[in-house]
Amino acid sequence: MKQITHSRPEKRGASTPKALTNLISRFDSYIRTHKPAQLVIPPLIVLAIALIVLGGMWVTTGSPVRLGFEFEGGTIITLATTDSHDLLRQTFADYPVIDVRDSGSRRMIKFGPMSKDKQDSLTDMVNTDYEYAAPEIKQAGALYGESLQKQALTAIVVSFCLMAVIVFIIFRTFVPSVAVVLSAFSDIAIAAAFIAVAGIELSLGTVAALLMLIGYSVDSDILLTTRLLKRRGNLDDKVTNAMTTGLTMTGTTLAALIVMYLVATYSYLIIPSLPQISIISDISIVLIFGLFADLMNTWMLNTGILKWHLQRPRRRRA
Amino acid sequence: MKLYKDFRIIVFILAMLIALIAIHPGYNSEEGFTSNLQYGLDLDGGTYLRLQLDGVIAGIDADPVQIIESEFSDAFGAVEIVDHSDTGITFRTTEPPEEGAINAVGYGNGRIRGNEVTLAINKPYVIQAYLSKHLTCEVIHLGSDTYEIRSMVSESDLSGLLASVGGSIKKDLQGKPEFKEEVTKNTQELTKEVLNEKLNIWGLKEIPITPVGSNILLVDLAGIDLSTAQDIVTTPGKFEIRVQTTNNTSEHALWGDRITAVDIPKMQDGSWGVGFTLNSKGAREFGVAAVKYGAADDPDAHELIMLLDDNEVYSAPLNPTLASDLKELYEIYGEDGDWPSRGLVANTGSGDEGEIEARQLQVHLSAGALPVQVTVIGSGQVPASLGSQFKEQALIAGLFALLTVALVIFLRYRQKNILIPMIATSVSEVFMILGFATLIGWQLNLPAIAGIIAVIGTGIDHLVIITDEVLYEGKIPSLKVYLSRISKAFAIIFAAAATTILAMSPLLWMGFGALKGFAITTIIGVLIGVLIARPAYGRVIRDMLE
Repeated sequence: MKQITHSRPEKRGASTPKALTNLISRFDSYIRTHKPAQLVIPPLIVLAIALIVLGGMWVTTGSPVRLGFEFEGGTIITLATTDSHDLLRQTFADYPVIDVRDSGSRRMIKFGPMSKDKQDSLTDMVNTDYEYAAPEIKQAGALYGESLQKQALTAIVVSFCLMAVIVFIIFRTFVPSVAVVLSAFSDIAIAAAFIAVAGIELSLGTVAALLMLIGYSVDSDILLTTRLLKRRGNLDDKVTNAMTTGLTMTGTTLAALIVMYLVATYSYLIIPSLPQISIISDISIVLIFGLFADLMNTWMLNTGILKWHLQRPRRRRA
Repeated sequence: MKLYKDFRIIVFILAMLIALIAIHPGYNSEEGFTSNLQYGLDLDGGTYLRLQLDGVIAGIDADPVQIIESEFSDAFGAVEIVDHSDTGITFRTTEPPEEGAINAVGYGNGRIRGNEVTLAINKPYVIQAYLSKHLTCEVIHLGSDTYEIRSMVSESDLSGLLASVGGSIKKDLQGKPEFKEEVTKNTQELTKEVLNEKLNIWGLKEIPITPVGSNILLVDLAGIDLSTAQDIVTTPGKFEIRVQTTNNTSEHALWGDRITAVDIPKMQDGSWGVGFTLNSKGAREFGVAAVKYGAADDPDAHELIMLLDDNEVYSAPLNPTLASDLKELYEIYGEDGDWPSRGLVANTGSGDEGEIEARQLQVHLSAGALPVQVTVIGSGQVPASLGSQFKEQALIAGLFALLTVALVIFLRYRQKNILIPMIATSVSEVFMILGFATLIGWQLNLPAIAGIIAVIGTGIDHLVIITDEVLYEGKIPSLKVYLSRISKAFAIIFAAAATTILAMSPLLWMGFGALKGFAITTIIGVLIGVLIARPAYGRVIRDMLE
């Protein structure tokens, strides 16, 4: 354990492995050696970039992220077939095909909104001609999509506000509460910007993931804030301690999500018959990026603000 | 204190036992693993429909006198209102009108004295009849000036219709028009019942129909494809009345399209019954068939049978008085005459049984026609084969995720005394969530599985918090210190759980219920975790570390 640079509490029998200690001590020395302002600035720059990306998307496309079929109306059909993309486009030439692509070992055909009669005839055709291909069909009305957009936005706003209220109730002090809420906001903004940049379409799954991120991201912030505000001891040591716990938490969650993402998305490479589970794939990829953002926001942004708050003159807290 | 005497452990064991009994896992050589778990149709295969009930609830401000004046002027030339009160309106026409012509305007039979006609009607009735006639749909008065229009009408169309009789859509206190595209809970409930009844007739039992918001119904149909599902739900059934001729033969009397109105079940003289009205043609076909096939002469030997999609839904003899009435009418009008339209009541007997049957009959008489128009706003099908692949893969994803978590935990603590209780707690949480799901009878679908995995994630986080708090400064604490640390850990955990639960709560209603499963699993899972599993872990970990 030569690489441990600061006196840290020793866990009985729990010799934290090299890689993890390395990571923690690197983070740790970074936080110890930098001033609060220096800690806070990089995450704020990333947040600003995220907001610019989202704003830019909003201005150019009318929506901060690309909307999936549930939000725009349309039909998605997946088929277990070996027909080529061109052949499928031809077969469905009577219908407004927007896109044909592979989804795992299946083919996914995306249609734009169409009249009810057209939709019914498409359903009938797929269920007779492609019965062998175990057709999966998803349809959403355009009107429904519009109100879904509003609902999704309201849901995120409501969820965020509820979280903020709870945080204020828990800490009852302004600066620490704002720090938690700000870093949660940044998590969501960065995750959303990632969705926009990576070209992932907004689906019910990704909205759910953003909401879940609100819940997840404050976990480590609450841990940090509680440890820093309510414990005695040296401030930097408390940060180190909180970080050991916090990184383990985020680490387990990230590891689980990455595995889940890989299984849900790429299983077919190993067992060709396995389909992609888009909802699990969507939820996990958004959370993965959200949690990476959370690592930065918790241990730089939030920690920086708290350090500044606790080191302010006339404010003795520790 | 002994471990097994601790109430946290007792609660935990009880909860696990209940979950075990609820899930009832088993194994036999034929079916493999069996359990009481119910899977959603994205895992078992089937179709879902998301139906929007088209209706409007609006506040209506209109003068019944103007409506009557305008309506009857259209039919009789200028009419003059002579008198009006809360219970009636009297007007004068240029020529003495005929009763039939008054009736045809659609505001009931008037009392005619020379040129003067008195209609015994009140304001809600007039407004209801006016809207119903011009929008060709049912309109229900909900009290004061609020009406439910059971069809989709735009705000401007409704305004226009009202403006032509000097009325308008009412404004609320903020000056916004009282106009909402929704239906009442009752209508939503009734539509659900009708749909359920229809699906029963098709032999599809216990179909989950979930009302969402004020005008959405979610229907999950296991084992059938989208084409069939849409047929069943959106096309009305075929209703028929037949007359029994011998023990097992019968003759056709009339089709359901002759039924112009179906009343709600009512109790009369100790028996439940459903009133329905036959139009003139229907009344004739009914009377003629009753006389021709002997039901009018010998009611008991020739029962009337009602069928929906060729399944018998009701049969009963004619009441003797009605039988003799029909014979008289037959004498007067014969087989081709203009029979007056006729109201009938199908009695179903007394008590709860009679009431239930009456409710079902009400649905059948409407030929499964839904009380409001429905629009399919979302639908989908998952073939059973794909569903079982999803199931398999979700299981693999869950197991791999758990193994990865176990690995990370092991790397961090290097102690099986921590690893085993931690993973066991996590697994037990999943087990309890599944048990709870089985108990309240909701189906496990892909979003719910994603929710469970999310709960494993937060669960492990919380166990790490507990462990680190107990191990703070590396020493196994004395009981007193341990207790204070545990309470600190739980302060953090409860705070984190509260934010997660609240953050998830909007999903209960968002997406028209599409992610309800995800939200419920996460919320229930977090609750089970913080209230049952994690306290037990907090207790066990101390013993394990000693």
